[in-house]
Amino acid sequence: MFERFTDDAREAVVAAQHEAAALRHGWIGTEHLLLGILTTGGGGARLLAGFEIDAAAVRGDVVRMIGTGEDPIDPEALATLGIDLDAVRERVEKAFGPGALSRRGRCRRGGVDMHLPFCRRAKKALELTLREAISLGDSNLRTEHLVLGLLREGDGVAARVLAERGVTLAAAREKVAGRDAA
Amino acid sequence: MAAQQTRDLAGAVDSTDPQVGLAAVASLRNLVERLEELHVANARERGWSWQEIGAALGVSKQAVHRKHGRRRRLLG
Repeated sequence: MFERFTDDAREAVVAAQHEAAALRHGWIGTEHLLLGILTTGGGGARLLAGFEIDAAAVRGDVVRMIGTGEDPIDPEALATLGIDLDAVRERVEKAFGPGALSRRGRCRRGGVDMHLPFCRRAKKALELTLREAISLGDSNLRTEHLVLGLLREGDGVAARVLAERGVTLAAAREKVAGRDAA
Repeated sequence: MAAQQTRDLAGAVDSTDPQVGLAAVASLRNLVERLEELHVANARERGWSWQEIGAALGVSKQAVHRKHGRRRRLLG
């Protein structure tokens, strides 16, 4: 589905992975997509700036809501005991799949070529992004549409963060449609 | 990690520096916890009872159920 994404939108998805890793979350959820959009700085970030929302604020919300990831496993500390974490990881992933050594939640099945798996809600939001783009008559998926997809998904952490900060799907759609018309 | 680097760090195992030793223990504990989650979930998926899992881990079925029975679901 990524073939119709604009460069910005692709970049946002890649940035989402970095956000997930930085928070030590073992999955890519809607919250990371939202952060990816905000750090990429395209149309989606501008849209959200209109609601006075930036990456730092959202990161704070996310940490408050779901915390940072699991307790760290430091490969160098384990090496002092003669344990090669990479070797352990390799074996575990062989049995249980990529990212298995990260905390699982319900999110362990991954997208193609992604180190971290997308959560169900994040996948749903990506599907809805496509529908939002189509309903706005746009053949490309832009970061604005990603924001709409996250809002329309409605249940994920991103939707909760946005709702708490006063963003509604209707208001966001209106802004996106308005910009297209301008 | 390069073999040489591993050997250098492994040399620290006989150091009495608490920082080194405690950091190693903490990481090892976290690794064990992670592995336990993984294998308990796998056992449950394969239909093992809490009793069987507890026995294999050397703890009571109550202890293992309390710890893993209602693992908080993370929201995406």
